Parts: sequence; structure tokens; C-alpha cells
Amino acid sequence: MISMLKKAAFATAGAMALMTPAVSQADEVNVAFFLEWATPNMVAKTDGSYADAMGVDVNWVDFTTGTAMTEAMLAGDIDISYSQGLAPFVTAIQQGAPLKMVGIAVVYEANDCFVNNSLGIDGSNASELEGKTVAVPLNTMADFAFRSYMTHYGVDISTMNIVDQAPPDGAKSLADGAVDMACVFGGVASAAASEVGTAIMSSEQKVEAGIGSFDVISVTEKFATESPELVRAFLEATEEANSSWGGTDAEFQIVATAAGMELETTKAQVSGFIMPSAAEQIANYFSADGVAAQAAASLGLVFQGDSDGAMIAKTIDGSFLE
Amino acid sequence: MFEWLSDNRASVAAVLIILFLGAFVWSIVVGRKQARLTATDEVFGDPVRTRGGWYWSVCGVSALMLVWFYFSWGTGRAYFPNAANEMCQIAKLEEAVSPIKAALPIGSRYYKSTLLASRNTAQLDDLQSRLAGTVFTEAEKTELEDLIRRIGALIANSSNPSDMDQQSRDELVGLVERLNELSAFIDAGPGDLTPGEEALAQPAWGTTFAEIPILPVTARGMLFDTASVEAAEIAAEFNRIRNHVPENDRLIADIKEQIDALKETNETGAFDEQVSAEREDYVKAVERIFKRLDDGLIFPAAALADVNTAIANLDASANSAQGGLRFADAVFFPGPGIVKSRTQCTEQGSARWLPKPTDVVATFMRLANPDLENGGGYRGFPLLWWDWLPVADVVAFFVPDWIADAWPGEFASHGDDGTITPNFKDKLLAFAQGEVSLGHIPMLDGHIWDSLFRVLVALGLGIFLGVPLGLFMGVSRFFKSFFDPLIELYRPVPPLAWAPLILTIFGIQDDGKIFLLFMVAFAIMVISARTGASGVQLTKIRASHSLGASDRQIMWNVILPNALPEILTGIRIAVGVCWGTLVAAEMLAGTTGVGFIENIARTVSDYELIWVTILIMGVLGLVFDMIMRWVIKKTIPWRGMG
Repeated sequence: MISMLKKAAFATAGAMALMTPAVSQADEVNVAFFLEWATPNMVAKTDGSYADAMGVDVNWVDFTTGTAMTEAMLAGDIDISYSQGLAPFVTAIQQGAPLKMVGIAVVYEANDCFVNNSLGIDGSNASELEGKTVAVPLNTMADFAFRSYMTHYGVDISTMNIVDQAPPDGAKSLADGAVDMACVFGGVASAAASEVGTAIMSSEQKVEAGIGSFDVISVTEKFATESPELVRAFLEATEEANSSWGGTDAEFQIVATAAGMELETTKAQVSGFIMPSAAEQIANYFSADGVAAQAAASLGLVFQGDSDGAMIAKTIDGSFLE
Repeated sequence: MFEWLSDNRASVAAVLIILFLGAFVWSIVVGRKQARLTATDEVFGDPVRTRGGWYWSVCGVSALMLVWFYFSWGTGRAYFPNAANEMCQIAKLEEAVSPIKAALPIGSRYYKSTLLASRNTAQLDDLQSRLAGTVFTEAEKTELEDLIRRIGALIANSSNPSDMDQQSRDELVGLVERLNELSAFIDAGPGDLTPGEEALAQPAWGTTFAEIPILPVTARGMLFDTASVEAAEIAAEFNRIRNHVPENDRLIADIKEQIDALKETNETGAFDEQVSAEREDYVKAVERIFKRLDDGLIFPAAALADVNTAIANLDASANSAQGGLRFADAVFFPGPGIVKSRTQCTEQGSARWLPKPTDVVATFMRLANPDLENGGGYRGFPLLWWDWLPVADVVAFFVPDWIADAWPGEFASHGDDGTITPNFKDKLLAFAQGEVSLGHIPMLDGHIWDSLFRVLVALGLGIFLGVPLGLFMGVSRFFKSFFDPLIELYRPVPPLAWAPLILTIFGIQDDGKIFLLFMVAFAIMVISARTGASGVQLTKIRASHSLGASDRQIMWNVILPNALPEILTGIRIAVGVCWGTLVAAEMLAGTTGVGFIENIARTVSDYELIWVTILIMGVLGLVFDMIMRWVIKKTIPWRGMG
């Protein structure tokens, strides 16, 4: 009787398409990745090294946003997300999603904030930004970068007029002079913004100030507990793919095709990527007070005023790298 | 008061649900009674038939609320306030046992060992069949064949129960014993387990961002929580157990040697690049399979059967220990129940994206609190409040800055002693920029007001420009033919398509957003006024003309009143569409507004906030519509009576 009632309840809920029960098929692993995000492991993806190393079929599914990756993982359609942004990961954890960060995919430069050239403001007189209007795509990594820059220069954000704009819109408003500074991400928007503005921090200054950004490899809790050996094999295969990356034209061509990009833009994008080795990840990112935990905690604070960094840190697990 | 209500929202919901249930039943009773009274003397299609019937509104609203309460688990929480906490403890046990279950048919149809054996055998067969076409010499091929056969033997040996060594057997027996003890512990019931003080001090379910309190607050919860700790240890133990087959030891050593020898040949053989790569690939593939098989992860199915039974027993014990909770779970918590993640327990199914009505109201009240210092408002701006607006700002809005520039003379510069004496031109500029003190007036303020302001201004402009144009298009050949193509060309274009243009033309202030909404409202008003004007009965116009009415009189006294029903319906539609376009308009350059809140909430999947904005827009739209209905009733009472 009870099971019948339960079935009835399930059927009603199912009829409204409220849920997709997660069924783990250990014979194949579903991996999410981004198109237009040229990571060197695309070579291994193309030549089937992942499937060989893991001993199971690997389905690669492309996504356009990290939030969609989270949703697919919650629905049980995706086991591993390769190169999920830190921002959607932290958001997912704050919403109580059963996910885990098991590795760092790529480390890259933080998104830029461009100041309109006519203002003549750079790092040396950044305090003049107080009282100005800024276009920021709120709750993204660009938002996080913006706050990091302003904290670094000691600019009081509460005096600024912050406008929520998508990167292309922000770049346009910067060109129109409607905003004084625009924080953007993405190649096209950055190129447009750099036509009329100058980045508040150069690449070297960003490294010096320790302002960076990274994408993570996340897995569902379920997959991690049920198939830890597959997680390990995936990370090993990634490590191998990264270390065997030689930067030859043939390799670039494979990555460009897999990522759906032009050869030239692929080269430019890859040149900005650093793929930390497993040893480096364990030492710097996944140690007790490592970069991963710190960045996630401060990002959590941006998104949700009352975030608890210790809580997010619990979902960061470097043990699969060992 | 509000604090108390917020902390006791489960009880509040319990009362509300009974009230809604009562209202639902009562309204149906009243409705049926009324229907019997009036049914005989009304004709089908008579508009009078739709008059009244407020009890059916009550019925509809209470049905909606009951469905909402049910699928958001609001009903469950109201009558089983501790259920989520207990289900969380059960989820902890589930989570703890999941590594064992994943390796057994009870959790994943097949033994993991079965999958490993079949998968690796298939891959070995594949290698075997590829061997003939490879670049290896005949001698090497024979050797590789032997190697593959030996690796296959590893699987065979691991699968044979009689080959298992005593230690592995003992470990599995020990594991089964521990599992059975755990089942017995659960069967024995909670006994004198009592929740700790820390657990009891947790905030109630749903009152904080963390939703479900994670520490057990009931004796039954304590039972499952304690069991889950033991279960986690057992699972860890299970993961450590390896199937050690003495016969395989020698085999493994031999295989390693063989593979090393092959690798050696590959390196020292001085093959050309392609041959070398092919050889390396093949040996690597063989080695990979071998590495998956040398660590004793494959167990004989018979050896694991006992573990499978023990887990089934554990499940049975856990199920019977849940008692009435299973019934509550099945009936009142639609969806896959509660899932424990690393950090918290979360509701799954419809409750994940559908917040409970009481929680939505609580979130709304939190935002509506104008006391910004104490967590009210959203992003440092109240939802709807008032503030002192400097009159100078209003003046500055209307007085353009160029007036000061156009005034003859120069702006003052600082004198030799560093002081500045402003002249009239400076004062004019200060006036135009609103930097003078002209006193203050109270003014509405907040996200809702900003959205309301944008919609009202756009709607007002749309009506005042659209209605006359539409009327003229209905009566004049020139107006109709001149404006028709223009309006019909832009009308079907979705407002979002204009967005990038509007951003460039108007910038990030309110005017761009208002213009976007205006374009939507304007087209609707023109179309409806034109339809109204051209639909006026010719006899009425001819009659008034023959009675000597002037053109102006015909327009004012005949065409306009007759077009009013269409115009007012147009306004009703325009209001709805304006609210619908607001989210897009406030996405252009969001600083304030209901659409802005929605856009931000979406980026962090904050479902409570999303529902609050949906409700705000829904309620505002409803209020507008009620006002319009009242206006329609007052201005054109004859509608539908002709």
C-alpha cells in the first residue's frame, strides 16, 4: 500500500517533469565540457585516451554555462564536469548541491576591468574611481575580480554606482561613455572594451597582487563515493594529457577542432592557460588553507552575505589527485 | 511579532492549510447551492451568467494554495516538522552505505566485479583480435598472445571462490558480521539515545539559508545518525578489502616482467617513428588492463553474496525502524526525498525549486523591511518605502546644463589667493546641476517604485500618443496610409531585439528602459484605438452628421466613446505586456527594480527570491487589472449591452 502511494506520488511528480531520478550506469561516464574553451586535454578527449585510461566509455557533452553543468549533474546526467567555473561551483555548494571539487582544470588571468581612456585613471590614482559608475556582470568571476581590484587599491565600493550589465552591453556602455569603467569577460567583449579603455591592472600586476582565476574539475558526491577509481583515472588521464602537451601545430589543430574555434584564437587562448600538475595542486591548491578553499570562501561571501567558508571548504577534496 | 511568526512558520502553515481546505470545501458547497438557485432563468451565452461568483474565486485561490503547499512540501513541514531532520539522518545512513551498495546487485543491478570482469575481458578480446594486424614480429606476437592469456587468467582466478585466500575470506565474513550487528542495533530501536543540546539549539527547518538542520533532534534521528557513523566505518573497511589470490601472485610477477621486457625492446629497438608509436600504444593498452586487474578488485560472486544479503537485511531494518515516517515521506513529500551532500541535507524534487508559501512570504517581509542597517531591502535599497527627495534634483532634471554654457561670460577660476568667487554663470550651472538647496519633498522610493515608475510613465506616454494617432488612423486616409507601414513594421519585433540599440542611444539611465516599454505600449494602443475608431457603426456617425454635428463633435461625442471599449481593453493588454517586458528592460543596465532582482537571483539560482519577484509582478499586474476593470465599469457601463 505504502509503496503504491509512493509510486502514485512519484508518478504525479514525474508527470509534471519535476525530477529525473539519477541512475548510475557505471559502464559509461558522462563528462561535461565547454565549447570555445581550448584546454590541452581536448587532444586526449579526441584520441580516446580517457576511455582507454578509465576502461569505460566516456561521453563528452558540451555546455555553455557552468550553472547548466550543475543542473545536469543534479539530474544525474553528468558525472564529471571538466573546467566548471569557480563561481557556478560555489553557487551550487551554497544551494546544497551534492558536488565536490576534485581538481583544478586551468588557471588563467582574472577578468579585466577597463577604465575609459578619457578619465586618465590607472593603478596609481585608482582612488579617483570613487563616485564613478561601473558596469559589472554581478555574481560572476568578473564581479569577483572587480572586488579584488578595488580591495587591492583600497577603493571604497559603496561610493560607486554599480550597474549590472552583461559583458557585451558593458563594453558598449564604456564606449558610449555611459559608464566610467566596465568589467567584462569573453574575447569579443574584452577586445571591444580595450578599444576605448585600459585595464586597471596589467597581467604582471595581477600576478604580483595574487589576483587570479581558475576553473575546477567537479564531480557528483554519488559518483565520487561509488566509483572513486574512475575519478582517479580521469584525473590521471588529465595529468598525462597536460604533461604530454607539446604545443605543436597538429595538437593545436586538434584542440581547435574539438573546441570549435579558429586556430589563431585557440593559440591565443591556450597561451593564457596554466595547467597545474597534480603535485602542485596538492601543495598549493588543496592544502589545509590552500588557494582553492580561500578563493571559494571569498567568492561565497560575494554571492551570499552570510556564507560560511568552512562549509564550502568541506566540498574541496584533493585526495583523488594522490 | 514578525520574528515569532517567522520562527513558527510551520505552525502558521498548519493553520493556513486547514483554513484553505475549509475554504475550498465551503466554496464548492456555496457555489453548487448558488448554481441550483440561478440555473433555471439564465440563457447560455448571456453575459449576465458571468456576473458575481466570488466563491469560485475563493475556490480557485484555495486550490492553488493547497497545490502549492503540497508540492513545495509545505504540508509535510506543517504537520511533520521533524520529518526532514529524520529523513536527513536516514539519508546519512544511505550515503554511508552507498560505496558498498554500488559494488553489489542491490545498488546497481550487477556486481561491480561482474562489470570489471566482463569489461576487461572484452577489452582483452579486442586486443587479441587486433594483434594479427600489428607491426610486432611473429615471435613477439606469440609472446603477446601468451601475455594476454595470462592477464585473462587473472580474471578467472579472481572469480573462483576456491582460489581465495583465507584472509580475504575472513575479512568478508567479519564485514558481514559487522553489518548484521548494525542491523541488530537498528532493530533494537533508539533506546535511551537523546539528542544533544547543540542539536536542539539548531534553527528550525527552513528558517535559515541552510534549510534543514543537520544534527538529529529526535531519538529516531539519533538512532540513524549513530548507525551512519558505524556504517561509514564499515564502508571504509569494505573499500580496503582486496581479493588476495595466492595463485595470482606468481602470475602478476611474470606479467610485469614480460611487460617490462616488451617496453625495453620498444625503447632500444630503434624503430622508425610510426612503428615505435604503434608498438608503444599496444603495450600501453595491455599494461593499462593489467593495472586494473592486479590490485584484487574482482571478487568471486559467491563470496559477495553474503554481503549482499547483509545489506538487504540492513535496508529492511532501516525501513522498519522508520515506521510512520515512510508513510509521511510517501504521501507528503513528493519527489525523491532528501539527499545528504557533504555539507548539508537538501530537499529534492519539486521542493528544490518551489519554495514553501510561508518561506516566500518571510523572504518578502525581509526584503520589505525598510531598515537597511538590519538586513532589510535588497542590495542596500528598500523594496518600497519613501525618502526625502531634494527639489533641486527635480529642477536639475528639467533644466539642461547647456543653459549655463550658453550664458555670456566665463566660468570663474581661482584667484591669486586661492579663493574662488562664483559669478552668475557658476550659480546658473549649480542650479542646472541641482547643487543648490531648494528644500525637500517626500517621495516614494525602492525597487518596486522604480519598476512601477518606469511602467507607469511608459504606459502614460503610450496612451497619450498612441490613442490620438490610432483614432486619426481610423478616420483619416492620410494618417492610415502614412503610419500603417511604420507601425506594422516595428510592432512584431520583440523588445529584446531593440535592447542593444536602446543602450547605445539612451545610455544606462531610466529613459532607455522607459522607451523600451513605451514602444511596446504604443503599438498596442495605436492598434486598439484604430480598431475601435474604424469599428464605429456608420449609422451613428451619419445620424449625428445629419443632425448638424461638426467634425470635432463627431470625434469627441461619437467616435471616442464608441472606441472606448477597444481602447480600455488595449490598456489592459498593454499593462500586462509592459510588466512582461520589464525584466528584459531592467537587464539592459540593472541598478534597481523588480526585474533587476530577478536577474541577479537567477545567476545564483536563488529560487525563493525568484518566486518573490514573480509574485510581486503578478500581484502588481493583478492590481492594475482590477483598477482597469473598475475604470471600464465606470466609463463604459453599456459595453456588452448593445
